[in-house]
Amino acid sequence: MYLKLLQIALNRLTLLWLGSGVLGLCGVWLGTVPRLAAADEVHVAAAVSLSEALQEVAAAFEGQHGVHVTLNLAASNVLARQITAGAKTDVFISADAIQMDVVRQSGQARRVVDLLHNRLVVLVAADSPVSLAGANDLRRPEIVRIAIGDPAGVPAGAYAKQYLQNETVWDVLQPKIVTTASVRAALASLDAGNVEAAIVYQTDARIARRARVAYPSPSEPLVIYPAALLSSAPGAAQFFDYLRSAEAGKIFERHGFGLPVTRGESPVRAKGRP
Amino acid sequence: MNAELLQISLFTVATALAATALMLPPGIALAWTLARRPFPGRALVETVISLPLVVPPVATGLLLLYLFGRRGPLGAALASTGVDVIFTWRAVVIAMAIMGFPLVVRTARAAFEQVDARFEQVAATLGARPLRVFFSISLPLALRGVIAGTVLGFARALGEFGATIMIAGNIPGRTRTLATAIYSYTETGRDAQAAALAAVSIALAFVAVAVSNRLAGPAR
Amino acid sequence: MLTLDVQLTQGSFTLTVSARVEVRVTALVGPSGAGKTTLLEAIAGLRRPARGEIRVGNRVLFSSRDRIDLPPHQRHVGYVPQDVALFPHMNVRRNLLYGTSRNTSMGGGLPLERIAKMLEIEPLIERGVKDLSGGERQRVALARALLSAPDVLLLDEPLAAVDVPLRRRIVPYLRRVRDELGVPLVYVSHDLEEVGMLAEWVVELDCGTVVRSAATSLQA
Repeated sequence: MYLKLLQIALNRLTLLWLGSGVLGLCGVWLGTVPRLAAADEVHVAAAVSLSEALQEVAAAFEGQHGVHVTLNLAASNVLARQITAGAKTDVFISADAIQMDVVRQSGQARRVVDLLHNRLVVLVAADSPVSLAGANDLRRPEIVRIAIGDPAGVPAGAYAKQYLQNETVWDVLQPKIVTTASVRAALASLDAGNVEAAIVYQTDARIARRARVAYPSPSEPLVIYPAALLSSAPGAAQFFDYLRSAEAGKIFERHGFGLPVTRGESPVRAKGRP
Repeated sequence: MNAELLQISLFTVATALAATALMLPPGIALAWTLARRPFPGRALVETVISLPLVVPPVATGLLLLYLFGRRGPLGAALASTGVDVIFTWRAVVIAMAIMGFPLVVRTARAAFEQVDARFEQVAATLGARPLRVFFSISLPLALRGVIAGTVLGFARALGEFGATIMIAGNIPGRTRTLATAIYSYTETGRDAQAAALAAVSIALAFVAVAVSNRLAGPAR
Repeated sequence: MLTLDVQLTQGSFTLTVSARVEVRVTALVGPSGAGKTTLLEAIAGLRRPARGEIRVGNRVLFSSRDRIDLPPHQRHVGYVPQDVALFPHMNVRRNLLYGTSRNTSMGGGLPLERIAKMLEIEPLIERGVKDLSGGERQRVALARALLSAPDVLLLDEPLAAVDVPLRRRIVPYLRRVRDELGVPLVYVSHDLEEVGMLAEWVVELDCGTVVRSAATSLQA
């Protein structure tokens, strides 16, 4: 009798085991195959500060060329690591040259161009009673915490640190600095009221919900977005060139980005090498 | 690098210990109540307690962010007394405690259920009030399981990532734990340091389990 | 001395007992499942009757009419269950003394030495409870109950776990308790012969009701 019970138990268990395995694998296959099979797809990895502008540019491109564009938006250092680890990407737009160099060093960059400019801005809560005239005013006690991207990797954070160092307040502001995983995370913490100030991009100020600009954007440091073509797929080169077109330029400008005067291509080899 | 590694390790162990201390009294009390005192709504309480085990940690972190944010129900009250939670070590401890709590309760509860109710009944007839029965009979007889649950909770606290990063951030020197440090080191290319921290995490987990086995005593 | 008027339902089993006992030793007999253990548990406060009254001497332990239901630790009832339930994590001495803290607050009771001598467990006092024989466990449990200065002693099959030759040896101890200590005793038994040696009154239960309640030949 025990043998029979054992057989029944084993059957149900085996069923459960095989069933979950088969269903799981089927689900994964169904969920991803159509995407992977689409031959004309351009995979774009771009700094998260470009979200709104790029979505518009990608939609315009799709409308004209019928090629689907997928956007992978995150902090540039995260994307650079993904690309060097092998994530299939056709075009990469970074928020600074350092992360672009990481990708260049992996040998995947075919063409590199300086695509856009941006500036830093200091934001405070919209209803904040404090009025700041410059970086030095961030030392005031009403400003308890300042959110910036992680200077160790997030470009916005590196720029912010550079800015504060230039203003010789970096050291004294250290205890107030709260680092986040991306520039948009810094913005979110200001919107949520968990910090009193945030240093983000000028273009981010437009989408902030409960924040206002504290004082006019500092002219330095200048934020430069290099863009790189990584693959030989036809759609990829098309999109890469579209990014530099006048049409795309107008879209970027409308979102607050600056266009470099010369948009010539820079050498592919990583800086520092002969 | 060594000073940094030491600071992160000490901070992680310290906050995990604090979280364990925070979890224990309510965890043990709740475990005993669930084991011995049926009450209306018990099933609901059991389900809610188990949620942090199954819900994605970042989702739990999101809920905590809402609760403890400066504009949230708990955060606003605390802020008015001058206490900040988000982006501070307190958030680390809270995240660790919330995530470890179900493990403490479930394991301790099973331990209490294993204690023969007869002993508690006889103790009561001998004149012991419920609190004395708990401390002199129930807890000593369930001790092995309670300790095991405590160590599980501690180990979970040590390794907590998702909720921690949501409400404490990952601020170097202030709220960066072993887990969140490994993550950001990997994101910024500091692979050697990440590997070193991972080794420390494994060693700590090893020690935690070994100590618990020792504390709980040899098998009867 | 002991007034019982209880009605208790457990699942499909109903216990209805109405009895008045004025003697020192009462035996509770009947087949398995008749409700003997349930009745003892009700007196000890470990089960709640649906209605009725339980009185020991002048004290009301339970009254559904007056909404009285004393918890076990307030009933002053000495209860030795069938499985004896000596606390495994304490030695004999600590088991014996467990119920005495109430004693000292009541100011007076039976000293350890006297009880230990009477039940011949002096050599066992410093030992752990694990290695005691069946008869030794019974005597230690009996001593433990006595040391808590109960108003009544309830023993559930005190001789059942002991093999026959040893049973005859325990009966004299129970007699000593009866004769020297004046604590009324209610005990459950299957063995009519030993009942005849000890009890002055017999209450016989069957299927939850009293079928006989009478004096034995022993009643003086």
